[in-house]
Amino acid sequence: MTHTPAEILREYGPFPGIDHVHGVSFDGQHVWLAAGDSLQALDPESGKIVRSIPAVAHAGTAFDGQHLWQIAEDRIQKIDPKTGRVLATIPAPGGGTDSGLAWAEGTLWVGQYRARKIHQIDPETGAILRTLESNRFVTGVTWVDGELWHGTWEGDESDLRRIDPRTGEVLQKLDLPPGVPMSGLESDGADRFFCGGSKTGKVRAVRRPRAVSESRPAKRRTGGGTPK
Amino acid sequence: MDSLITAAARALAAGDPLGALNRVALREDAPALALRGIAMAQLGDLARARALVRRAARAFGPREAVARARCVIAEAEIALASRDLAWPAKALEAARESLEAHGDRLNAAHARVLEIRRLLLLGRLDQADRALAGLDAAPLLPALSAAHELAVAGIALRRLRTRAARAALTRAARAARQAAIPALQAEVELARRALETPAARRIARGEEKLLRLDAVEALLASNTLVIDACRRVVRDAHHQVLLTTRPVLFALARALAEAWPNDVTRATLLARAFGARSADASHRARLRVEIGRLRKMLRPLAAVTATATGFALVPRHAREVAVLALPSEDEPAPVLALLSDGESWSTQALALALGASQRTVQRALRTLAEAGKAQAFGRGRARRWITPPVPGFTTQLLLPAPLPGD
Repeated sequence: MTHTPAEILREYGPFPGIDHVHGVSFDGQHVWLAAGDSLQALDPESGKIVRSIPAVAHAGTAFDGQHLWQIAEDRIQKIDPKTGRVLATIPAPGGGTDSGLAWAEGTLWVGQYRARKIHQIDPETGAILRTLESNRFVTGVTWVDGELWHGTWEGDESDLRRIDPRTGEVLQKLDLPPGVPMSGLESDGADRFFCGGSKTGKVRAVRRPRAVSESRPAKRRTGGGTPK
Repeated sequence: MDSLITAAARALAAGDPLGALNRVALREDAPALALRGIAMAQLGDLARARALVRRAARAFGPREAVARARCVIAEAEIALASRDLAWPAKALEAARESLEAHGDRLNAAHARVLEIRRLLLLGRLDQADRALAGLDAAPLLPALSAAHELAVAGIALRRLRTRAARAALTRAARAARQAAIPALQAEVELARRALETPAARRIARGEEKLLRLDAVEALLASNTLVIDACRRVVRDAHHQVLLTTRPVLFALARALAEAWPNDVTRATLLARAFGARSADASHRARLRVEIGRLRKMLRPLAAVTATATGFALVPRHAREVAVLALPSEDEPAPVLALLSDGESWSTQALALALGASQRTVQRALRTLAEAGKAQAFGRGRARRWITPPVPGFTTQLLLPAPLPGD
């Protein structure tokens, strides 16, 4: 396992009217922030909020190429990003103890915070397909190039870690500075991770390290990759 | 943080404790217990609130020291609001140190303000002063800053520094306005009004006059021998003699002071000091003994000279003599003074604060209740005493956010 400090490329925010970032996702162009009672679209190049839709947004968020998926209390809602309309609702696997959310190849991956678990679920029914165990509180979850990453935050310490999607074994760790909270994780499909900063109201871009042996061409789409 | 905790915390922050409870009612994990505790505190169920935040403190893991410490602070604040003074002060201190070590200056300052308020309530002014000196007030949010200034004013008032108290209350009023909490603003306003209402009665040369606190301060600073019936102290500008535990000597001193510059007859003194209707030889012998004791104790301040019919007080340095008494004297003063903070007190808490036995306090409370000056509610151990609300020092709960990362 490699273990290095996270390289923070850029800090965004805090933004007026956003006191918490509870989750992040990326639609190929904008970073969506789950801000409690709205989803806010951040342009990662200009650093400005460019759009906002009203939506109940209490934890992780994900983008499937067409829709936003958003954890709201004990449910996961499928939202049309154009209108903000809720198209479907499924139960969240943790029954409200859920934190992060990621989309990968037709299924949703859901972090369960204090239970230190990650569930793969059927986005039609919410049925649990498999469960991975972590040894720390799980915040965000994201897939990129066949790699499953999740964020942790326990006590004063946060890190990003790549785990084996079959066994949950930790393969790689990037430590955030002490005291920096982490409430959501999403990759841009290439070289950056976006990390939600919880009550700081910030978003941080962190460089994604390339594993030499596993390097593959980057695919420019969110949550890209193939769970094995 | 997970989704329902987020939703519940948002509800709480929006002033909807019931909405918060609905979301985490059945959950027993640490953040849920903490949120339920804060919600119950906001709903006024302090006993349940306290039990919940205490459980939350235990349920947070060893790596979550900050969240745990914040729960200890919340518990201490709830205990203070319920006037339970026997709470573990050591735990609060340890929590404050832990927060300081973790760089949570805001909540560490919150803990310090609670320590100061508790010491003030217990009347441990020197300790409260020391705690104040150790407070870093810079990170305080407006609401807590108002509570802090109220405590500063409280200490100044108990030390009879009216000007300092007034200045602190002005700062408290400004902070309370910034905090935009109406209940807090009202508390500061009540405290300010207390400065304008009579705090004591001066009895001198056969005349009585009600005094505001600043007039009391001026009287004590003047060249007057003051027989202070509020504290059972005799003092002038240079000395003071405590007669706290000598009620008979104090009664004699007071009778002599009220008559000054005239003398007081033996019969009057016997009646005042011993409640004796008719004096026999043994009474007169006893009076001689007590006057001898009083003479000895008051020596630095005044002489007690014999006259043809009795005794007279002759101050050594002071030019005037005055008795300082409570505005109204038909009640057990110290108990009433504590009850007068407008909060509900248990007999045990009153006994602890006064350093008296519970039985003494109960007797005093019964007297007050018969006079319609105090009311009890609750039964058994849960029984609490109140007086109609009069100026007091903040009881507003300004609970810390107990959640990790918040």
